[in-house]
Amino acid sequence: MTPPELRDLLSDALALWEVPGRVGVDGGGVVLAGLRVAAASKDELPIRWWIERAGHRRPCTSVSGLLRGVRNAVGAGEGEARRLRVAGA
Amino acid sequence: MIPVSVVTGFLGAGKTTLLRRVLADPAWADSAVIVNEFGEVAIDHELLAASEEVLVNVSTGCLCCLVRTDLGTTLMELRRKRAAGEVPAYRRVLVETSGLADPAPILHALMTEAPVAETHRLLSVVTLVDAVLGPAVLGRHPEARRQVMLADRVLVTKPDLGDAAAAEAAVRRLQPGLPVRAAERGAVEPGWLFAPGEPVVPTDAEARHSEGVGSIVIEREAPVAALALTLWMQALAEHAGAKLLRLKGLVALAEEPARPMVVHAVQHLVHPPEWLAEWPGDERRTRIVLIGQGIPRHFPARLLAAIEAEVATA
Repeated sequence: MTPPELRDLLSDALALWEVPGRVGVDGGGVVLAGLRVAAASKDELPIRWWIERAGHRRPCTSVSGLLRGVRNAVGAGEGEARRLRVAGA
Repeated sequence: MIPVSVVTGFLGAGKTTLLRRVLADPAWADSAVIVNEFGEVAIDHELLAASEEVLVNVSTGCLCCLVRTDLGTTLMELRRKRAAGEVPAYRRVLVETSGLADPAPILHALMTEAPVAETHRLLSVVTLVDAVLGPAVLGRHPEARRQVMLADRVLVTKPDLGDAAAAEAAVRRLQPGLPVRAAERGAVEPGWLFAPGEPVVPTDAEARHSEGVGSIVIEREAPVAALALTLWMQALAEHAGAKLLRLKGLVALAEEPARPMVVHAVQHLVHPPEWLAEWPGDERRTRIVLIGQGIPRHFPARLLAAIEAEVATA
């Protein structure tokens, strides 16, 4: 995901979570709400993203993990507690 | 599995009239009907001409509020009586909701309550919108909009008394591409009305969004990896929550692209995937429709693209 693609995805996510704010491209990552999200280098795999805030760095290994981490960091809660469930299961 | 169809529509839309007509058809007379009336005095069930033994009235309140007890209990009791020969061997169940019912809890109950979901299968949701008051009702009442957004088919009733085209347009603003027919006094083929719900891809891009509700279409030329699809649906359920009302579509899975997989979910509840024997028509690409409220238009597609790229490099 390129930084502009990441910006667009996280901008949509903020709107979905009803969190006001803007997302901007910043070098190899994006900045939003006091956070910086940066792509990890290839030799850091399986880490794909870093969420950075005031001296703290949180690794994320997936897009799902990234969204969850950003959501928590911006104070939008932990998402829908009821996870995907197969009917009748 | 006993197929169950839900007939919904706002107060006075003509649900009972429709069911009377359906039950008068010999091919559909072997239907059990569960009627939910909102109010202390139940009338609708008296108007239905179905066999008394397979007509159940639930008039203790709005079914969507009581559904976790009443509907499940009623369905299972009916099934027990059928097995015991106490009621005719009905072949399907038609649930008439009250006009004020939000269909989502009803669908949840059908899909999740353990004994019900193991013995019954939600076949379709039919919503009635009347041509006289329908457009105004859809504008004023969120329950009416949810009835349309969760529908597989819409029947515009009373076209002889009102503006059927306006009613259809109001429906399409909420769910573009939805199969819609107009009929006087329920004069429509039950086979069309209660056919299994199939995903429909809207074609009117301008109508996809209104008042924060509407449908979002995901189309993919290349087959989608099963893992990517699963992660995407999981992330949608997690982050859209109750804003995601329904998801339905045909998917070309990378693991088996020759035949389409049918995906169907109500909020975070997913039907077990089904497979069609072959692709309907010439188009063999993934088409998924999301019905939701307040979901940014591009979020689902951007999320899927990001997850697909991630899965491809895993």
